[in-house]
Amino acid sequence: MGGTGGKGGTPWLHLAPALVVLGGLLVYPVYELGLISFLEYTQAQVSGGEPTSFQGLGNYRALFTDARFGQVLLTTVVFAAACVVATLAVGCALAVLLTRIRALPRLALTLAALGAWATPAITGSTVWVFLFDPDFGPVDKALSRLGLSGFDGYAWTYDRYSAFALVLLEIVWCSFPFVMVTVYAGIRAIPGEVLEAAALDGASQWRIWRDVMAPMLRPVLVVVTIQSVIWDFKVFTQIYVMTNGGGIAGQNLTLNVYAYQKAFASSQYGLGSAIGVVMLLILLAVTLGYLRLLRRQGEEI
Amino acid sequence: MRRPRGRLLAESVALLCAAAVAFPLYWMVLSAFKPEDEVLSEDARPWTAHPTLDAFRRVFGQQDFGRYLGNSLLVAVVVVVASALIAFLAAVAVTRFRFRFRTTLLVMFLVAQMVPVEALTIPLFFLMRDLGDVTGVPGVGLNTLGSLILPHIAFSLPFAIWMLRGFVRAVPESLEEAAYLDGASRARFLWRILFPLVFPGLVATSVFSFISTWNDFLLAKSFIISATENSTLPMALLVFFKDEGNDWGGIMAASTVMTIPVLVFFVLVQRGLVSGLGGAVKD
Amino acid sequence: MAWPSTTTPASLRTLVLVVVGALLCAAGAGGCAPRTPAGGAGGDRATGTLRVWLFREVDNAPKAAVVDEAVAAFERAHRGVRAEVTHIPVETRAQRIKAAFNDPRSAPDVVEYGNTDTAGYVRDGGLADLTADLAAWDDARALDPAAKRSVTVDGKLYGAPLLVGVRALYYRTDVFRELGLKPPATLDELAATARRVHAARPGLYGLAVGGAYTYAALPFVWAHGGDVAERKGRSYEATVDDPAARRGIAAYTSLFGDHNCPASRCARMTGNETVQAFASGKAAMAIAGDFSHQAMENGKVKGAYAVVPLPGTREGRIAPAFAGGNNLGVLRSSTHRTLAVDLLKSLAGKRTQARLFDAMGFLPAFTDVRAEAARKRPFVEPFVRTLASGARSVPVTPAWAAIDAGQVLPTLLQEVVSGRADVDAATAGAARKMNAAFRKNGLRS
Repeated sequence: MGGTGGKGGTPWLHLAPALVVLGGLLVYPVYELGLISFLEYTQAQVSGGEPTSFQGLGNYRALFTDARFGQVLLTTVVFAAACVVATLAVGCALAVLLTRIRALPRLALTLAALGAWATPAITGSTVWVFLFDPDFGPVDKALSRLGLSGFDGYAWTYDRYSAFALVLLEIVWCSFPFVMVTVYAGIRAIPGEVLEAAALDGASQWRIWRDVMAPMLRPVLVVVTIQSVIWDFKVFTQIYVMTNGGGIAGQNLTLNVYAYQKAFASSQYGLGSAIGVVMLLILLAVTLGYLRLLRRQGEEI
Repeated sequence: MRRPRGRLLAESVALLCAAAVAFPLYWMVLSAFKPEDEVLSEDARPWTAHPTLDAFRRVFGQQDFGRYLGNSLLVAVVVVVASALIAFLAAVAVTRFRFRFRTTLLVMFLVAQMVPVEALTIPLFFLMRDLGDVTGVPGVGLNTLGSLILPHIAFSLPFAIWMLRGFVRAVPESLEEAAYLDGASRARFLWRILFPLVFPGLVATSVFSFISTWNDFLLAKSFIISATENSTLPMALLVFFKDEGNDWGGIMAASTVMTIPVLVFFVLVQRGLVSGLGGAVKD
Repeated sequence: MAWPSTTTPASLRTLVLVVVGALLCAAGAGGCAPRTPAGGAGGDRATGTLRVWLFREVDNAPKAAVVDEAVAAFERAHRGVRAEVTHIPVETRAQRIKAAFNDPRSAPDVVEYGNTDTAGYVRDGGLADLTADLAAWDDARALDPAAKRSVTVDGKLYGAPLLVGVRALYYRTDVFRELGLKPPATLDELAATARRVHAARPGLYGLAVGGAYTYAALPFVWAHGGDVAERKGRSYEATVDDPAARRGIAAYTSLFGDHNCPASRCARMTGNETVQAFASGKAAMAIAGDFSHQAMENGKVKGAYAVVPLPGTREGRIAPAFAGGNNLGVLRSSTHRTLAVDLLKSLAGKRTQARLFDAMGFLPAFTDVRAEAARKRPFVEPFVRTLASGARSVPVTPAWAAIDAGQVLPTLLQEVVSGRADVDAATAGAARKMNAAFRKNGLRS
């Protein structure tokens, strides 16, 4: 590879606008984030009421001795994992389904999925909360009419697990379309003979997926998995809106919301930044792990 | 040569899924058109016999709602166009050139996507303030739409570059060589030949930058402090969340208004999106 | 280009180096902190535009009308001066005001703020010291001492009270008549009455309570002889885990449950939501402020409710109410200091407060204006009586802002109400958090 014009400075000329923007508005702020995480930095320091002082690892020490933080960290990892698995399962299953149906139902499902995808996170969260509202929402009514009377007026956001389940549903709803569309496009690129040969062998759908499609789709799956991990680990709007900033007594806090609460609600910018740095490092580790995996398999990035 | 029974079952399942997926949106639009007493009734019915525009009237009657809508559109369009152009150039550089640090850069672009944007609000706030103070350029700095546009371009770039790579790579290099043999300049090749070929990919990519920009309310809330005329749509939505009981009809109407532009955008680019995502990851 | 498969790729190494380098640099560069805003104190220009931020109330039009009138008079008296009033939504105030402290160019000159925020804002360096400016202000002599305390930090005045707010017990006269009930005379009676109403009318909360409604819980603590914290030398110490305070917390949290206000609904309710529940006819009683009067009048309960002071533990006592209220202050960064103070005197003066009472029912912070108001509208009598029997407040220290923002008290209440912890464990946890905040934000001399 390598274009004909690939001499010395030219790639950097092409890259210059991107690097300037990213350097100024992403790298520099990240550097500042790291810096602030080492400082005693509350509202008083920000507005100049008190001098800034260097804390070393003080904020990090405070974090790791805070039982709450450990709990939130664990919750975040488990919750993100659940979201990723659920999103991938639903997205892949529906992608396979799309290949087995005629154009009209396919169009219906695709359009519905695009609708869910297009819905802004803030409106999506709001609508789901409204759907599950104990007084005015249709879901509780429908469930109790189906004979599950325990759900009449059930407050989904009161219990920790049902609140998380509700948020998980919303997240799967708005993020499975990306997986579905991408995987569907990937399946379409698999030569038809391969799939037909497998079908003629009488293999079940699950076997076809596991033995034929999944291996061929590996690059696609890697991309959607990385994206899902990145998005779901950082989930903010849904938790913030649906559980009202972290739930009763903070039972539904995830890292990003916790950082926001620390930084903005409590003005402990140093502590909030330290949480941000910890998140960044975790995601970095996940991504590097993936890259190594790719490399071992000789994939190109 | 599949059995029709199996296909029928599959199609029923697909239609059921479609209905379930579409239901929240249906409920949103329905509630936006219901009269207020039906929205706030204990007996939630999936239809209404008295559709009304009252909720929309409340939304648009709210001060400056039209202006917020315009601001949101302006910000989103500028971000989409700027990030698409910048990402296109960068994607060309990382696929068509071979240079030191190329792979490092690629990894950096991937890593950049992981940055929790919410955490960057603090440093960005000071950056925007200082930009306004130091440069004195109108349209830059706190309280301006520029303070929303600039960070969003930066936030959408890494993913856009990452995705566009696949599209650029899919254009055969022989085409490039042929163009040069015909005497085309580098710029001409870039904008007249490569750009149109990659356009579907640009569209697919811009969906993501559009959504994330359109969605944002954290930056809007933090950076637009005293110039309310520069607020964006999500701020207008918040007005209907009231301590004294949410105006669900108004919220649903405002949500509908907020969702429609994205839906329109999606339908317009739908074809490019489906083939685009396939192309991006197919390699 | 494929990854080389044997050694660690150079790119990964570079990346790790960059990240580690950045962290080390950040760690080593403690001195080069992000900048603090250039403008400390502002200026004193005599012309131009003054920016004013006031809270947007539920039904804001009458307030805006009174304010506009006062502003118009001010503009007539000062040639070449304009005042631009913005009514900001209350829920965005914290962020906006912080942003204003951080960026003087965005900041208003005069600002309305909740009286529990005073110490925090002063510590943040945002409010101007107005002691000298207000010394010669005639109106100030009639200020209610409690209201005056709420603008005072370390003996200096940082603004003027605009209104005081105090809560009392609203109850449904129709429901009480039908069930043959009397307004409760003690807190125990209150709990019993609430149970009886809910048993007879399962669709109604006996007394609407909220797990996030701190200002309803505090009177229970005070009535039982406890407090959340007390002054120890130059700092404070949490007393929320003392036996008396625990009795108060237990009394308040015992109101949650299927016998009165189911925890699944009420644990997360805020004060406004309990008010809304009462206004929409879903509760037989609620603890609500004089400022909620209009919401009740606009609700379903219009004409079917009355108000009495919240009773204490013994008959004839009144539970100490939380002395709420809003103040007006001038920002340190204001570039029109004298003008801003003049405008503040006009907006927080007796005349405007009297008119605000007529328009909005806000209780004036001046004792004489308030007495006059009570004569005109008997409705405010139970509130004035509650104030007269002694309203209390939370510690005036910057630490309280941190405790408030950290949701320490709502978390305490919600933990007990949801059964996650008992009163002893939850109060002990809250006391720990509060003491940590007090230590960190020790009083400055």
